[in-house]
Amino acid sequence: MVRVAIVGIGWYGFKPSVPELSFREMMFEASSRAYMDAGVDPRSDVDAFVSCQEDYWEGIAITDEFAPEPIGGVLRPTFTVAGDGLQGIAQAYMLIKTGYFDVVAVESHAKPSDVESLQEIYELAMDPHYIRPLGVANPFFMAGLDATAYLERTGATREHLAMVAAKNRNNGLLNPRASYASRVTVDEILDAEPAVYPLTRYEIASFADAAVVVVLASEEKARELTDTPVWLEGIGWATEAGTGSPEWHLWGMMPSMRVAADMAYSMAGISDPMGQTDFAEVEDRFSYAELVALEELRIAPESAAHKLLEQGVFDYQGRYPVNPSGGSLSMGVAFEATGLARLLEAVLQLRGEAGAHQLEGVERAVVASWRGPPTRTSMVAVLSV
Amino acid sequence: MSWDKFWTSGNVKHYPGKMEVEKYVYTPGIHGLEMAKALKDGRILGMRCGGTIYVPPRTFCPDGEKGELVDVTDEEWIVATYTVVTRDMYGNPVKPQVVALVRPIDAEGGLFHYVNADPDEVWIGMRVRPVFKPEKERKGLITDIEYFEPA
Repeated sequence: MVRVAIVGIGWYGFKPSVPELSFREMMFEASSRAYMDAGVDPRSDVDAFVSCQEDYWEGIAITDEFAPEPIGGVLRPTFTVAGDGLQGIAQAYMLIKTGYFDVVAVESHAKPSDVESLQEIYELAMDPHYIRPLGVANPFFMAGLDATAYLERTGATREHLAMVAAKNRNNGLLNPRASYASRVTVDEILDAEPAVYPLTRYEIASFADAAVVVVLASEEKARELTDTPVWLEGIGWATEAGTGSPEWHLWGMMPSMRVAADMAYSMAGISDPMGQTDFAEVEDRFSYAELVALEELRIAPESAAHKLLEQGVFDYQGRYPVNPSGGSLSMGVAFEATGLARLLEAVLQLRGEAGAHQLEGVERAVVASWRGPPTRTSMVAVLSV
Repeated sequence: MSWDKFWTSGNVKHYPGKMEVEKYVYTPGIHGLEMAKALKDGRILGMRCGGTIYVPPRTFCPDGEKGELVDVTDEEWIVATYTVVTRDMYGNPVKPQVVALVRPIDAEGGLFHYVNADPDEVWIGMRVRPVFKPEKERKGLITDIEYFEPA
């Protein structure tokens, strides 16, 4: 079977606000950079285009029809995935595996600074019969419910959640894309009043305007285009009893991530993720989510992620760095581009192009994203050089 | 192939917009309609899927099979998990709300609702029971249940 590689990547933004450009111009900027990085002309070299976006984030109905022009996809096979960018990467992977497509581009973007009623948009994502009428004051109550159940299940404490936030917010200080990085301490986090118990504002990622474009190619084409292909060894995704039935969720767990991970690992031939990979960029839009993700990814044994965290295993200098980029807590949540932000950071690390926060000697990485409450969709990729 | 960008602060233009999403009706569906009637009646329904009862009833079971409506007769429910909301998404302080996923003892799933208790007195596994609004104030909505109170 044909192997699939990432041969180019481009980004724009990762700021609380990108006032100078519209969202479509951000797509254009990110794609221009990705095509330059890959050394391809989108009009002649890219066989298909995938854009990952949701109408309500854009304030435009049927926004998929806004996708082709800024990324060079006019009169070419272009389609939209209403999901995280990593789901788009999975689509590109499958297209290339068919043998009919040699080069595929995947795009995702976010302009939360345009959304003046972001909380209301989140509320519109809630079940209209059983949840919306309650009028809960913060839709992230779903994360609070999950975090409380996680602490109860594992014996972890609020201190552990604060340690995740402190680690990631400090990791971001060396990352130029980490607008929300800060030198915050565990004590400062614990002293802050929880906004949605047990989570304080430091443990809830802010939002960022960003666009990311990834160019993928078949092995043969990748060898022509670049000396530094990053192999997509495996990818998986799954949705739980989801947004439409959140009452049925397994609280404090992410079974969709376990399924996605097992799918990606089996493709990549991984049985011991921590032993066979060097670092991970994982979901952390809430502090607890990183610990849940590490367990569902089998990087940490069940109910033990907080113990490894305590031992410093996941620190930037640790045995298995997790979110050396600073994660979403430092870089912000970029709507459906959040998974591509994790992928971008992993690709730069594996290429040795991460700059000031470059890890030494890394060759294989786990990338994981989750679409955040109230959705229950996870995606996992394994990358290597 | 990229625009030169100049400092534009103070010169940023936005086109004001408003998404018209207020006028929408949501069909309750087969089980949803029965649940609405039951709530007005001061009752709560679930559905039987094989040997398990799920709340709320949704016509289809988690595994895609057809569910069978049943009355939830549990007098006591438990707090499966909870949170206390003290700020909105923008960081503005709000009147604290104790929000929980409450579950009938013999069922899976449950309902999201408020627990009428001091935030410090709520715990996972706590027994609670539904308190309905007076009959004439009920509308067939989840808010026909005023809150859950410690049992």
